[in-house]
Amino acid sequence: MPMVLLQCDKDIPEREKHIYLKVDGEDSRDYLPVANASTIPGTLSERGCAFCGAKLVIGGVLKDTIQMIHGPIGCAYDTWHTKRYPSDNGHFQMKYVWSTDMKESHIVFGGEKRLEKSMHEAFDEMPEIKRMIVYTTCPTALIGDDIKAVAKKVMEARPDVDIFTCECPGFAGVSQSKGHHVLNIGWVNEKVGTVEPEITSKYTMNFIGDYNIQGDSELLQQYWDKLGIQVIAHFTGNANYDDLRSMHRAQLNVVNCARSAGYIANELKKKYGIPRLDIDSWGFNYMAEGIRKISAFFGIEEKGEALIAEEYAKWKPKLDWYKERLRGTKMAIWTGGPRLWHWTKSVEDDLGVQVVAMSSKFGHQEDFEKVIARGQAGTYYIDDGNELEFFEIIDLVKPDVIFTGPRVGELVKKLHIPYVNGHAYHNGPYMGFEGFVNLARDMYNAIYNPLLKLAATDPRGALTTPAKEAAE
Amino acid sequence: MGCEITTRERAGIINPMYDCQPAGAQYAGIGVKDCIPLVHGGQGCTMFVRLLFAQHFKENFDIASTSLHEDSAVFGGHQRIEDGVMTLVRRYPELRVIPIITTCSTEVIGDDVEGTISRCNKALKTEFPDRKVHVVPVHTPSFKNSQVGGYSECVLSLVKTLATHKAAPSGKLNLFPGWVNPGDVTLLKHYLREMGVEATVFMDTEDFDSPMLPDKTIHTHGRTTVEDLQGSANALASLALARYEGASSAQYLQTEFEVPAHIVSTPYGIANTDAMLQKISEITGKPIPDSLIRERGIAIDALQDLAHMFFADKRVALFGHPDLVIGLAEFCLEVELKPVLLLLGDDNSRYKKDPRILALKSKVDWDMEVVCNADLWELEKRAKNPDYQIDMILGHSKGRYVAIDANIPMTRVGFPTFDRAGLYRHPTMGYRGAMLLGEAIANSLFAHMEYTRNREWILNTW
Repeated sequence: MPMVLLQCDKDIPEREKHIYLKVDGEDSRDYLPVANASTIPGTLSERGCAFCGAKLVIGGVLKDTIQMIHGPIGCAYDTWHTKRYPSDNGHFQMKYVWSTDMKESHIVFGGEKRLEKSMHEAFDEMPEIKRMIVYTTCPTALIGDDIKAVAKKVMEARPDVDIFTCECPGFAGVSQSKGHHVLNIGWVNEKVGTVEPEITSKYTMNFIGDYNIQGDSELLQQYWDKLGIQVIAHFTGNANYDDLRSMHRAQLNVVNCARSAGYIANELKKKYGIPRLDIDSWGFNYMAEGIRKISAFFGIEEKGEALIAEEYAKWKPKLDWYKERLRGTKMAIWTGGPRLWHWTKSVEDDLGVQVVAMSSKFGHQEDFEKVIARGQAGTYYIDDGNELEFFEIIDLVKPDVIFTGPRVGELVKKLHIPYVNGHAYHNGPYMGFEGFVNLARDMYNAIYNPLLKLAATDPRGALTTPAKEAAE
Repeated sequence: MGCEITTRERAGIINPMYDCQPAGAQYAGIGVKDCIPLVHGGQGCTMFVRLLFAQHFKENFDIASTSLHEDSAVFGGHQRIEDGVMTLVRRYPELRVIPIITTCSTEVIGDDVEGTISRCNKALKTEFPDRKVHVVPVHTPSFKNSQVGGYSECVLSLVKTLATHKAAPSGKLNLFPGWVNPGDVTLLKHYLREMGVEATVFMDTEDFDSPMLPDKTIHTHGRTTVEDLQGSANALASLALARYEGASSAQYLQTEFEVPAHIVSTPYGIANTDAMLQKISEITGKPIPDSLIRERGIAIDALQDLAHMFFADKRVALFGHPDLVIGLAEFCLEVELKPVLLLLGDDNSRYKKDPRILALKSKVDWDMEVVCNADLWELEKRAKNPDYQIDMILGHSKGRYVAIDANIPMTRVGFPTFDRAGLYRHPTMGYRGAMLLGEAIANSLFAHMEYTRNREWILNTW
């Protein structure tokens, strides 16, 4: 059973190459969805742009940094109030967004002067902030504004500030993935190695590819503290700009999200010889395995085992309570990409949940290799799924719960399918042992929501009809 | 003493009040039935705007993107428009309207949208001879105006493209309410029904509040039809309730088809609602019925309990869409609230000459500031300045942290209000809207009195 051409895709047959239904005995040597490819216009794709991949996902997480977006107002407005990544300093990064508010005359005559003025103003208005990232957007890239030259000028005028530039307009690449790449490589080339950290432990590492969604990084930090490991930099959850400049001093790079941040780990290995260790931070089995690997690297296995035993004693009974009630639940995961392969096996092993369909917005083929290896037969694996495909897939697999974004969540609500926010979580954090209990709890509360039964009931006694879109 | 009208002096913006033009155009586009806007630009221009609408309405809306990639930035994106249109029409058999909404990137590249639409029309005629799909050019470069102008521009483009000739007079009224909530549309339709006036609302967004049904059908879409837009040329008259959101369409219909255009003060507050109903009565010859006088009385009765006891002398800061902010400032005066700061968030030079602002200027006997082209940093600086003393903030959810950090009570109003439940369902316009907003303001003040232990005992008996 190879690739699948859905009914709704009969007019865009190239979509067949993007949808795979796994069958026993097959694997990704035989079939691998095409991924990270150009989007078909007009399909109602779920994808975002490269600019948001750089600003919203990675750079904008930094808790002490001005995010200067050089472009018209929309790029700033739209990448504000869409994330749940708090920080331990009062959530500066969630409260503010900065724009050069480009107008037509600046498009015609160039926007560099306006950018320079906006940068000075931002530092003047917030004198305690000394760090900034400047981003290009579609129009300022098209007109060729030299943001690097402007940043240099501002740094010369203000010796106490440091500025990073990210040239990643929205039209670059095919999705937000391009933005991750551009920011990773730019940062390691221009900023890593420019600050020397204070070393406080004989064990040091960077924790890469975790953005402190609802406090993920802060939760995991408790583990690293207990193990006596100094995290030089979190890339980029709850992080300071200067932490990331000193990444070269870590002994180990631990990577959670390989899609958005594997690049910097590879570069750090190449340039500084720091080994890369990939772990999964969601799920009991995976988290324990990750702690074991890290402990083994530093030769502190006993500490690692003690931590795992302590956490299991505390959280495993709670997890098992949910497992009893979630066993056999059919789950769909429609998120960015990596969470497909992070979650499919962990919900199966830890919660007895069956993942029946997965769609990735920006994953690459290597992400599909991982998820198809870890995922079950009878499950659909979709690259860049669109709305009509989602309807059809729902009819085919009938999921009990969908982990996806809030907009799609509102859509499937009408089909009486509950959603849990697969990007920003419902009530997280979801990483680590405690976090996975939170995920289980949110899934349980979603599935057992009494309103779903009421929604399916017609008080006049009529039978309900199968899911379909309104004809009107 | 008096009213000062200023403009933001900084070049850059810290915390914008409005999104860009294409976002506003998308909002107008989803108000049309059997319509999927196709945004010609990067994918983020669509994805985030869909998220924004979902945040506010807790609903999904269908908007497509041409998914501009690098090659288009170099060689032009015409083909992606054509591919996008054909893909949409093939996959969505009910589809009748596709607004092509441009963005900054595609305006800078200079794609010939009109020429491409001609090619699309030919291709559509060949492939779908029995089906008419209207492809509408909407030019909304993000570096001009804001979501406010983008909304107006898209409504105008839809009217211009679809209302092409005058037929027999329909006797109906065109109503352009502006960028309002479904609750406002429901209220306005109720008024028209009570008065026995036949009217078409552009855009009818009542179903942006849509149900979960036993049969799982989805009804989240605009209700303004192709026929409604075509028929706008045959109307008795047009009534525009928002000077900056839709009034240009009323003016166009007057110039092109001699449909008389009437622009009234946006009906926030009692007097503005009176004026709107009087105008409808004047246009149609239908009297204002007793039922609406009763509704008016209920609202005044409720507000009377609040005004001189709780609202008098409270200093209010307002931000949001221009017609909303100006209308709410007028409402504030009716209930003895003191508007001290009005923030209007784009560079439209007409705001300074708006007769309603000039009238406010003559009415206030305290210091009032109107800041044009403002951002929310202008609000934050004043909110955190103890000498400025703001007692209440009226605005949308993007200003939430100003209120939280400065510990000032805030009543959510406008767009978006994603951090409060269900606000889109309730009107802000009309008598009922004034009453509900007044009560929301009062309840915010009461909760704040309790949390801050500030004369909360007053409410021990009320």
